[in-house]
Amino acid sequence: MAISVDPRNVSEDLRRKAGYTFTFLCDPQAEVIRRLALLHPGGGPDGHDISRPAEFLVDRSGTVRWENFAEDVRVRARADQMLAAARAVP
Amino acid sequence: MEQELQQKRGIECLMHRGSYRIDDARSAGDSDSERATLAGSMPDETQKKSNQALWLGLLIVVLGVLSNGLYFLGVPAPPIPWISLLLPVVGMALVVAGVWRAFARPAVYRGKILGSLAAVLCTLILVASVAGFVISKRLPAPAAATPQVGQRVPDFTLSDSEGHAVSLSTLLSGSAGGAPPKAVLLVFYRGYW
Repeated sequence: MAISVDPRNVSEDLRRKAGYTFTFLCDPQAEVIRRLALLHPGGGPDGHDISRPAEFLVDRSGTVRWENFAEDVRVRARADQMLAAARAVP
Repeated sequence: MEQELQQKRGIECLMHRGSYRIDDARSAGDSDSERATLAGSMPDETQKKSNQALWLGLLIVVLGVLSNGLYFLGVPAPPIPWISLLLPVVGMALVVAGVWRAFARPAVYRGKILGSLAAVLCTLILVASVAGFVISKRLPAPAAATPQVGQRVPDFTLSDSEGHAVSLSTLLSGSAGGAPPKAVLLVFYRGYW
């Protein structure tokens, strides 16, 4: 699931144009983002609060099995890394 | 003969830079000899050296810009920001050396005008590369409150892009329909795309 502060219409527009089939969740007030301490204050255009880039692989019990925190917005976890982590979950 | 001499003098007048001394040697019985001596600093444009440092530097700076495309080629990503920064730095050093040569030794090297233009362009690219490098790394450090490996993610409910409420616990339990997944990948991204 992809999560950001983008409003519903922006997320849906991105999802359709990029052809993604996974779910986009909208957190415009950054409530969940703040709860997970992922807020990047003023990091967005015009100083808007946004999420810092991060990925979590969560198993059925809700436990984190793998995570990645980007140190550079241009350097994100690759699909093969995430797939390898998912395959390692029993 | 006189006509030939006049033509040569005419050409040299058109080439006026520095001072010229034409020795018109007409020794008795040798009306065909003549010496034209250039006593100035008039360089022959065709004999100037190519300013390779300048153009090599420009090429390296352009490669630095193009290196940003490596993100889309499946190349391991961590070194790419450094490549995109260092190539313009190295290229700019060569461009500066080339421009210095063109101005310090204009009789030997070409490139005063084009080199100056290239230097301006490369400076702009270098500034943008440095700014991009710094800004891209300006991220808050992972906080202690962020769930670590082995810790549980608190349940939450958000609307999806079609307006339906989605909760993490419902997804993980499979209550939404279908078999429960082995795991769920949560990808938090900056947005504003």
